[in-house]
Amino acid sequence: MHAMIGKPLSPRCASYSSFLDAEGQVLDQGIALFFPAPHSYTGEDVLELQGHGGTAVLQMILQRCLEFDVRLAQPGEFTQRAFLSGKLDLAQAEGVADLIDATTSQAARSAMRSLQGEFSQAVHHLVEQLVRLRMLVEAMLDFPEEDVESISLVQRESQLVKLQSQLDEIISAARQGSLLREGAHVVLIGQPNVGKSSLLNRLSGTEVALVSEIPGTTRDIIRQAIQIDGVPLHIMDTAGLRESGDVVELMGIARTRDAFQKADVILVILDANRGMTADDQKILDELPPNISRLYVFNKIDLLATTTTTTAHVEERGAECHVYLSAKTGDGLELLRAKLLEKVGWHHEAGTFMGRERHMRSLRSAREHLGRASTAPQAEIFAEELRLAQEQLNLITGEFTADDLLGQIFSRFCIGK
Amino acid sequence: MEFPKKFDVIIVGGGHAGTEAALASARMGKSTLLLTHNIETLGIMSCNPSIGGIGKGHLVKEIDALGGAMAAATDEAGIQFRILNSSKGPAVRATRAQADRSLYKQAIRSKLENQPNLWLFQQAVDDLMLEGDAVSGVVTQMGLRFSAKTVVLTTGTFLSGLIHIGQSNYQAGRAGDPASVSLAHRLRELKLPMGRLKTGTPPRIDGRSIDYSVMTEQPGDDPVPVFSFLGSVQQHPRQLPCWITHTNMSTHDIIRSGLDRSPLFTGVIEGIGPRYCPSIEDKISRFADKDAHQIFLEPEGLSTHEVYPNGISTSLPFDVQLDLVRSIRGLENAHITRAGYAIEYDYFDPRNLKHSLESRFIQGLFFAGQINGTTGYEEAAAQGLLAGINAALYARGEAAWYPRRDEAYLGVLVDDLIMRGVSEPYRMFTSRAEYRLQLREDNADLRLTDTGRRLGLVDDVRWQAFDQKRTAISQEQERLKSVWLNPAILPQEEAERVLGHGLAHEYTLYELLRRPNVSYAELMSLSGAGAAVTDQTVTDQIEIQAKYHGYIERQREEIARNEHYENMVLPVAIDYRAVRGLSVEVQQKLNQHMPETLGQAARISGITPAAISLLLVHIKRKFQHDLTEQKSA
Repeated sequence: MHAMIGKPLSPRCASYSSFLDAEGQVLDQGIALFFPAPHSYTGEDVLELQGHGGTAVLQMILQRCLEFDVRLAQPGEFTQRAFLSGKLDLAQAEGVADLIDATTSQAARSAMRSLQGEFSQAVHHLVEQLVRLRMLVEAMLDFPEEDVESISLVQRESQLVKLQSQLDEIISAARQGSLLREGAHVVLIGQPNVGKSSLLNRLSGTEVALVSEIPGTTRDIIRQAIQIDGVPLHIMDTAGLRESGDVVELMGIARTRDAFQKADVILVILDANRGMTADDQKILDELPPNISRLYVFNKIDLLATTTTTTAHVEERGAECHVYLSAKTGDGLELLRAKLLEKVGWHHEAGTFMGRERHMRSLRSAREHLGRASTAPQAEIFAEELRLAQEQLNLITGEFTADDLLGQIFSRFCIGK
Repeated sequence: MEFPKKFDVIIVGGGHAGTEAALASARMGKSTLLLTHNIETLGIMSCNPSIGGIGKGHLVKEIDALGGAMAAATDEAGIQFRILNSSKGPAVRATRAQADRSLYKQAIRSKLENQPNLWLFQQAVDDLMLEGDAVSGVVTQMGLRFSAKTVVLTTGTFLSGLIHIGQSNYQAGRAGDPASVSLAHRLRELKLPMGRLKTGTPPRIDGRSIDYSVMTEQPGDDPVPVFSFLGSVQQHPRQLPCWITHTNMSTHDIIRSGLDRSPLFTGVIEGIGPRYCPSIEDKISRFADKDAHQIFLEPEGLSTHEVYPNGISTSLPFDVQLDLVRSIRGLENAHITRAGYAIEYDYFDPRNLKHSLESRFIQGLFFAGQINGTTGYEEAAAQGLLAGINAALYARGEAAWYPRRDEAYLGVLVDDLIMRGVSEPYRMFTSRAEYRLQLREDNADLRLTDTGRRLGLVDDVRWQAFDQKRTAISQEQERLKSVWLNPAILPQEEAERVLGHGLAHEYTLYELLRRPNVSYAELMSLSGAGAAVTDQTVTDQIEIQAKYHGYIERQREEIARNEHYENMVLPVAIDYRAVRGLSVEVQQKLNQHMPETLGQAARISGITPAAISLLLVHIKRKFQHDLTEQKSA
């Protein structure tokens, strides 16, 4: 440190310094900050140098650093070290990882929220309610002769329903997070001349990003990535399928089918003047029927008739029809909103960066709460609640039988 | 003097832990000496006159399945039997009995006196004999030296016992018995980590001075339940009811006015009492908004008038005790025969024991019962049994045995004690058992009799009766699985009566029994169901197993998932300070406990899942490192 800075640094104080090379020549001037262990991000000694911009100068400073006994950090290594030295807990460390991975500003905000513990707060709150219910049920089982407040079947049921809906909300908010991180998959169907690219460009507000192939699938599916309100959408265009002729055969190829299987929505773009073609219908028939479908009738500005020249939405059962004009921009907002709705995004709700691990626990906890409603015996009801809590504990941390007993004893006067 | 006979096992203490320990070790064929300061008090119930209850009844049935004495003695001494929680499901269902103190004591004494391989001797123990870090015997008050391969300490509340009544206190092991002061002193010198706990009892009342006409009667169950697998209703003596009354506002005022002379509230008592069995002065100050507290008046026996008022344990001065008792409805003219008191005593931190209840520091020395920080006859007896078994195994030179948490409440008890320690006197509750659904009273025999037989605890009579029952269960299960009911043959009205609707297609009887609302008896009333089994313990078992099949399977899966973890053996020489990322607190805990497996480590209080992950990483890394070294070498 001394060789490079040329002077001692006092802990955690920013000092203006020269950064020197091996001959003592000044490479750059900037701020040096020294964090001695354990008061640093990683819990180890950390030296932070803030130089002027410019790639060349930064490269030189980096080269100079590597002359000492140091190496470049691997991706995520700082966070890993912080976790290993107990500076961050697992949920926080994962929050940081998401922040680094976050591709959009929405995702960054959501990751920030997990880091600050809003996600664990929401789960903690749920667990508190769950513990309250368990306390009443367990007290009834372990202390039937004591003066404990009895909980009726009806009360049990109504509290269970409340818990179930709270958990549903958390799951939905956490699902938003995974949407932001991983994005949604959209299958696009449309003839070359219906105005697909102009529509996609208008939707995302920028020129559509790179056109790339999905590795491992047939090259006839082309993927484009766009963003709407910060939600990444991966668009799989079926145009290639059409060109190669035998649609049905291509759809039969397992990898292609798998790519379509995980789609969140099927977007069908049509020329409002011509409607559905036989080709479109053929592809559509091959797609999984359980994926929701959104029909866009473009070019309403060119419609000759008088009836449907303004942009609007028609809901037809599971299908949704949007009439718009990519050229005039009329109806684009409607499509944006519908598209986001179909992939399960609702902006108003607080969003948590739910990790897959969290989602699994939340869903499994929800399953147990569901089973509790059909429990034939009080002890089975209690068992399902215990299992639900065990799943939530994977997110919030340990809660022992003794903790539960503590709650019972502080609430009820037990003591025959 | 050196006593001429050398023993395999010496038991110090003749309470519930000591007597089960002595009987178990002797049943296993080891020469066993039971030392007690007073043979007349063997098997005495020093607190409330009742055995069993929720969680506790489960323990008693397990002790019974391993050939222990408690359930059988209760059948001979029980003057009221009830099944608690009968409507809440078979797993939380539990048996409880009020026992005649003197009949109970007699039953235990007779079992001890008639047990081959067991010697009794009356003399207080003052000292342990040690050879290196192994125990080699004990020295009694009069200097008599007994040698043995193992020693089991079951001294209850006697170690430095201190009784409080109001502001006066005196050394005692229990009201009327001396404390073990020299032994406590000697054990302190061994520097085993210890602490101080507190418990208490209510004043006793002469039943002739009680007005029962204003109280609620609580009779026993009809039909009368039985505790032991081999027991019968015919063994029971005459049955008596209990009575319920309540404290009131004036009782509470009297107690409040005496708090300034309470050893609990003036800081004289240092030991920690249980949260669930507080003294009456504790109850009214912690739950100040309650206008009344329940009191159960429990008869002490058939040959005495004494009554135990359960619910008013107290260490208030005697004048306050008298006033508070007489303020209670029905007790206006009560005569107190013995004063209530609190007792403080030493216990040894059970985290310094192995799961076999052997000390980690002194080989061959076992601890069982209240000395480990538990409370309750049942908890003591269960530990005594386990310590007796392991002392006998140790004397045989065989590996220790203890049940897992999914096998028995005994497994939950010992694992909780060893892994988590105690912060108050430990009592069993069913909510402590994560595998509660399979740890039922009704299957205690099926869970443990096999093991008991293998260890030498179960005699031929019990074994044959058990084998018969088990065979009957599996034969009938097989039959139910092989008999099909055909919708074309089964009369429609029969199907509707039993199943609620007609059969959609063919079903086996077993499949139909798994439906929630179909009982075995109803099922057997269908034409074509064949001959029913009449033994109700058999049919109950078949019914529960059929109905709980899905839940039990899920718990099995959970156990199997954890087993990998549970069986992952931690290296003995591991230095937890070298594990990166563990907090100092976690390092200390692990170094102190030295868990044998990763599963045990995970159950130490304060050990987080993150710490376990780090430990896993450390072991893997080290293991791989060792592998590469081996390869290069």
